[in-house]
Amino acid sequence: MSGYDSALSIFSPDGYVFQVEYASEAVKRGTCAVGVKGKEIVVLGCEKRTTLKLQDPRITPSKICKVDNHCLLAFAGLNADARILVDKARVEAQSHKLTLEDSVSIEYLTKYVAGVQQRYTQSGGVRPFGIACLIAGFDSNDKVPKLYQTEPSGVFNAWKANAIGRSSKTVREFLEKHYEQDMSDEKTIKLTIKSLLEVVQTGAKNIEISVMKAGDANISKLTVEEIKKYVDEIEAEDEAEAEKKKPKTRA
Amino acid sequence: MDIILGIRVQEGTIIAASKAATRGISILKDTDDKTRILNTHNLVAFTGESGDTVHFTEYIQANIQLHTMRENDLELSPSAVASFVRNQLATSLRSRKPYQVNVLLAGYDVKTNTPTLNWIDYLGTQTELPYGAHGYAAFYCSSLLDRHYRTDMNIDEGLKLLDDCLEELERRMPIDFKGCYIKVVDKDGVRDITK
Amino acid sequence: MSDPSSINGGTAVAMVGKDCIAIASDLRLGNQSLGLANNFEKVFQFGDKTFMALTGLASDVITLKETFRLKNNLYNLREEREIEPQTLANLVSSTLYEKRFGPYFIGPIVAGLDSKTSKPFICGFDLIGCIDFAKDFIVSGTATDQLYGMCESLYEPNLEPEDLFETISQALLNAVDRDALSGWGAVVYIVTKDKVVKRTLRTRQD
Repeated sequence: MSGYDSALSIFSPDGYVFQVEYASEAVKRGTCAVGVKGKEIVVLGCEKRTTLKLQDPRITPSKICKVDNHCLLAFAGLNADARILVDKARVEAQSHKLTLEDSVSIEYLTKYVAGVQQRYTQSGGVRPFGIACLIAGFDSNDKVPKLYQTEPSGVFNAWKANAIGRSSKTVREFLEKHYEQDMSDEKTIKLTIKSLLEVVQTGAKNIEISVMKAGDANISKLTVEEIKKYVDEIEAEDEAEAEKKKPKTRA
Repeated sequence: MDIILGIRVQEGTIIAASKAATRGISILKDTDDKTRILNTHNLVAFTGESGDTVHFTEYIQANIQLHTMRENDLELSPSAVASFVRNQLATSLRSRKPYQVNVLLAGYDVKTNTPTLNWIDYLGTQTELPYGAHGYAAFYCSSLLDRHYRTDMNIDEGLKLLDDCLEELERRMPIDFKGCYIKVVDKDGVRDITK
Repeated sequence: MSDPSSINGGTAVAMVGKDCIAIASDLRLGNQSLGLANNFEKVFQFGDKTFMALTGLASDVITLKETFRLKNNLYNLREEREIEPQTLANLVSSTLYEKRFGPYFIGPIVAGLDSKTSKPFICGFDLIGCIDFAKDFIVSGTATDQLYGMCESLYEPNLEPEDLFETISQALLNAVDRDALSGWGAVVYIVTKDKVVKRTLRTRQD
């Protein structure tokens, strides 16, 4: 361990680049972000940290960023690193459209973002980006929802549902238990919120949800009221479940 | 030889752009749209050297759309777009090969609720006008517009005046420009109202 | 390609009076024979009592107006005071000479009152920044020949602001009426120790 982690350019004897591993630690400390695919919908949600008293929540930038009209990016980890990476993605999206006339496919964009992250693990005088990204959207003229995840190492994978950041393991396990193939729009949104509630104890005001549907520029953010409606529904269902499970008093 | 005309009325700006695309002695197509949408309330119509026109305008379009992405959907105002376009043309003027592109920028400023029409030529000359045109169209139509234009016209009256201008062009221009696409930019955005 | 400094047309003039200066320009923007705009002012303010007029290629007029606005703003922030006319003159000169072998097609005039002494100051430049300090008047644009004649005959030193206004207005008006590329309205600024008055002149619209 000693010495092999002091620079990005050093492999350890057992094949780790420790700086990249440590970058993942930075990701694990970031606020949780979740992505879930439905039949014709993909939902991104993230944990909104409780704002300090004087912070203005209305214009503080969201953690779910629009990269192009058909593509969203949510991240976990170092916010400042994310700002830079998201901007690179935005420029690439426009540049692609300008030279190739078509919008980027979600896979292309993910490959690009992951490629940038990899470049910063194999360069001089730099450190890796301390963020993992969830990239969601639809390719042009396609109804199939896409969800990808990138990591500081530059690895990317496609997912049906995933979580990154704080308590992501808990959330992922929850998703593994409750995920169903081809869910309806409502069910997908509900599952996203439900999974976030596992880690966000304080409820609707600390959750941010963005919904993407197939078709032109179909990105919508849920308002606090709409999220609260889902949260209330979920809490009611949970109570009903708990009631059923309670041992019945003898008649 | 291409026509681009613009008229700014009370609630919006009207743009007419000829449909013909001609190379030498042949008309390649009569459905050539010489406009591009930059953002919800800004439209650019262009003429000039073939190739340069589309290349420059799509470059501007990409940059304006990038700005929209970056600024979380907060869009550039028409005057900001005009300054950006003018700056690009003024810079290109002293480069190795300048863009020979003239544009008319139709816009609607949502903050002040005013429509705008910016005339910008390939040298980087920029001026906001109540009505204007690039190329020979200006020689045919300016006097008609001087005589009949009123600041308080509405869209329909503006379209009627535009019709008069197009009639004059059809009658007196030696070339057939195959009619015009007509677009309007107002508080609801850009729409195509070609008959 | 025609001469860049006479594609768009336009004219400006500045004069020195008794503890005051006057600076004026026409309002025409054209493309050779075609008139485009009748509200294209060519006089710009830099601080309370310092003015610049820019004639020539309209694209360069706009570019330089914005360049000098930037340099003036930085000057204000760094120096924590407004720029003096003499200093602005040298700033214009060096900015233009930087483009010695690819110049801006422009005929600038700087006019103003010194902030401490209120002494009037005017000067003109050629397109590469050679400063022409004058005691009486400076002319620039497509009607310079006409303006030289008008100014030489109408001008007298130590005119009061009201008289200076009449003199500069008549000089400009009659000169641009003999120039096809200038006119379509005019604007005159009279700058004295306590106020700046901007007047728009009624001119022939042909």
